[in-house]
Amino acid sequence: MARIGVYVCHCGSNIAGVVDVEKVVEYAKTLPDVVTAKHYAYMCSEPGQQLIQDDIEDHKLDRIVIATCSPRMHEETFRRAVAEAGLNPYLTEIVNLREQVSWAHTHEPEKATEKAEALVRMGVARARLLEPLEKHKIRVEKGVLVLGGGIAGIQASLDLANAGFKVYLVEKSPSIGGKMAQLDKTFPTMDCSMCILAPKMIDCAHHPNVQLLTYSEVKGVKGSVGNFKVTVLKKPRYVDEKKCTGCLICSENCPAEAQSEFDECIGVRKAIYTPFMQAVPRVPVIDKESCVECGLCEKVCPTDAVNRAQKPEEIELNVGAIVVSTGFDVFDPSAIPQYGYKRFKNVITAMELERLVCASGPTGGHLTRLSDGKIPRSIAFIQCVGSRDKRFHEYCCRVGCMVTLKQAILAREKIPGDLKIYTCFIDLRAFGKGYEEFYGRARDMDIDFVAGLPSEIHCAADGSLYFDVYDRGTNKLLEVHADLVVLGTGLVPSGDLGKISALLHAPRSADGFLLEAHPKLRPLESAMAGVFLAGVCQGPKDIPDTVAQASGAAAKVIDLLLSGEIDIEPLKAVVDKDLCSGCRICESICPFVAIEMKSELVKGEEKLTAEVVEAVCQGCGLCSSACPTGAVKIQQYDNKQVVTQVQAALAETCAEGEG
Amino acid sequence: MSLVDLMSTAKPNFELRDRILLKLGGRELVNCYQCIRCTSGCTALKLLELKPHEIVKLVNLGLVEELPSSDIIWTCVTCLKCVQRCPQKASPYHVIIALRNLAVERGAKVPEGYLKIVSQILETGLAEPPQKIVTRKMETVDRESAKLPKIKPPKQTFQATFMKAMEEK
Repeated sequence: MARIGVYVCHCGSNIAGVVDVEKVVEYAKTLPDVVTAKHYAYMCSEPGQQLIQDDIEDHKLDRIVIATCSPRMHEETFRRAVAEAGLNPYLTEIVNLREQVSWAHTHEPEKATEKAEALVRMGVARARLLEPLEKHKIRVEKGVLVLGGGIAGIQASLDLANAGFKVYLVEKSPSIGGKMAQLDKTFPTMDCSMCILAPKMIDCAHHPNVQLLTYSEVKGVKGSVGNFKVTVLKKPRYVDEKKCTGCLICSENCPAEAQSEFDECIGVRKAIYTPFMQAVPRVPVIDKESCVECGLCEKVCPTDAVNRAQKPEEIELNVGAIVVSTGFDVFDPSAIPQYGYKRFKNVITAMELERLVCASGPTGGHLTRLSDGKIPRSIAFIQCVGSRDKRFHEYCCRVGCMVTLKQAILAREKIPGDLKIYTCFIDLRAFGKGYEEFYGRARDMDIDFVAGLPSEIHCAADGSLYFDVYDRGTNKLLEVHADLVVLGTGLVPSGDLGKISALLHAPRSADGFLLEAHPKLRPLESAMAGVFLAGVCQGPKDIPDTVAQASGAAAKVIDLLLSGEIDIEPLKAVVDKDLCSGCRICESICPFVAIEMKSELVKGEEKLTAEVVEAVCQGCGLCSSACPTGAVKIQQYDNKQVVTQVQAALAETCAEGEG
Repeated sequence: MSLVDLMSTAKPNFELRDRILLKLGGRELVNCYQCIRCTSGCTALKLLELKPHEIVKLVNLGLVEELPSSDIIWTCVTCLKCVQRCPQKASPYHVIIALRNLAVERGAKVPEGYLKIVSQILETGLAEPPQKIVTRKMETVDRESAKLPKIKPPKQTFQATFMKAMEEK
């Protein structure tokens, strides 16, 4: 016979404002095996927990049912309280009276109370069958893989390395720095982007705990939280990193040219190149597609570092956790033909403008038109290109407004004399610290804001651009003539994010970015245990937010790995080997790849059985419901425990039906 | 009353708005955030002062009393640019057609031009008679000089079928 205590929480007025908690308590007292039932204003508070602990001792309780908010909120808190009183923490059952009752049925207090009673009845029925469980501990690797060397990856790597963890920073391009390295200035302080980024890049390269793996990609990930085995493919640079001194004489002498990806294909680079002057590591790569195989680089290199026969290399890493910081791509506006991108030379993207105004860019920082190299006398910015658009990306890119303000201010500063600047917008969102003040500064600088977007951009016979836009501020149709049109292109998930998501089994949200484990309470983690998220790979954000998230993700990794071992929740799938037929259905449907098939010899015959990798299993229960022989059960959610709960749900209803 | 248009003292008519929304099959086609792309590109705006975004906004606010009897809903040339370019997949065009249907249901006078189009279709099978155009080189071209085949008059049965369809509507 179980001795059950039932505790109903008011949650201030969140629950008690709708549900008649006293009635629920009186009802609970009538249920079999319930020794005591109480209600309290805040069960999660110190006195609330004390109430439960005292009762465990006074009434010799061996099962606890707490009717309160969602278990996602306070289940851990209550388990800890119960454990402190000497009871196994897994003998606690949470009944959700807030999200599933009071908040869902605010206007029907009587029915809500009835439902609360039914849920308590179900909880009590289930509580009788709860079994004591223990957490397991496993040892973990102290290395960390950071995937992507933009500002997010750099910040996370530095934080982790400073905390004493070995960091492997993998970057697919020849240099770390990411998109931030391409920017000229940063809003709202107008710091030079490279000036604040470059020192961090160098810190990263020189840190004894950081191993840079640039021009490399992750090929495979095996294992689970605490013990990942990662295969990294190091693409051939055709330059020996150990011998190269970064003098770049090879690059100066190289006769072959290609469009510079770093300069958004506006400028050119050599076939043997570093993407930009401040590249880290300062070791060039040979782009075999544009190389003419003249061998000149080999001849001029003073340290014999060029090795055109270099082969790709595979590196195996053992890490305890993975930080994903793979960043984003910029929306390609040629998908909106009315805006004329790629048809009209002087319609450019915000990122292209960034390179045009940057002192290290292809024009040396002179803001000129691409068609004729002349200084523009009027510039129009068009916002929300590809963002807030159900045909492309429904979300707000979160930086476009501020990027436009920054670029408008830069243009005003760069071009002296008469220059008209128009900004066409839907809503101007200046939400960050110092952002609204920045917007005010732009208005002070005679930048015109037109409330409305143009429908199409035209090119006149002389090559100048013009468009109609209806301004809802003045209720007038305006014809705007612009020498240069800048499209405020949004941030989109990077092209290889699908591949990365599949490699790591890290799910994505509807917008295509990686999905956090909980939008509010676990924003730095993926649902896949041991995989953490930093920067725009999780969703559009600006540099301050990216850096904050990267440091946060690093702190989460430290929290996970610091002690050298981690607790594994016991609410996992377990396989009854005798019942398992080796059909592999569970293996095929497990979203976390937590099932491994083991073969063993039974009476001379080979037999396949499923085995659960405890560290990876999230206890979702898919395998259990799919298993044709009933061999897989989820601890604390086996058939009997669930069916009893369902029977308790139906019990009263049936009785009423008969009456 | 929640809202009054102080320029005309008009008040929302939510019953009428619901009739419009019913014709539109829900709110999806009026889900507008006023980016104004429709009006910026509206073919009818410059001559006829049609502001698609305004009509959609008025429907959202419920200020619809005047709309079905307004001349402005008949100025849309149904070029469908607004539908194609709307980033929210809303449709000022469908709203205007719904308003036109409502106007006809209420017995509003349909502008003469539309009646002309109907008789034109009855006679020739075409909404517009074949026209001459001027090319960029300032040459005037018609079907004949462009070596396009002559358009034949509609079949005998066409008029009867057309009239029958009109009556059924």
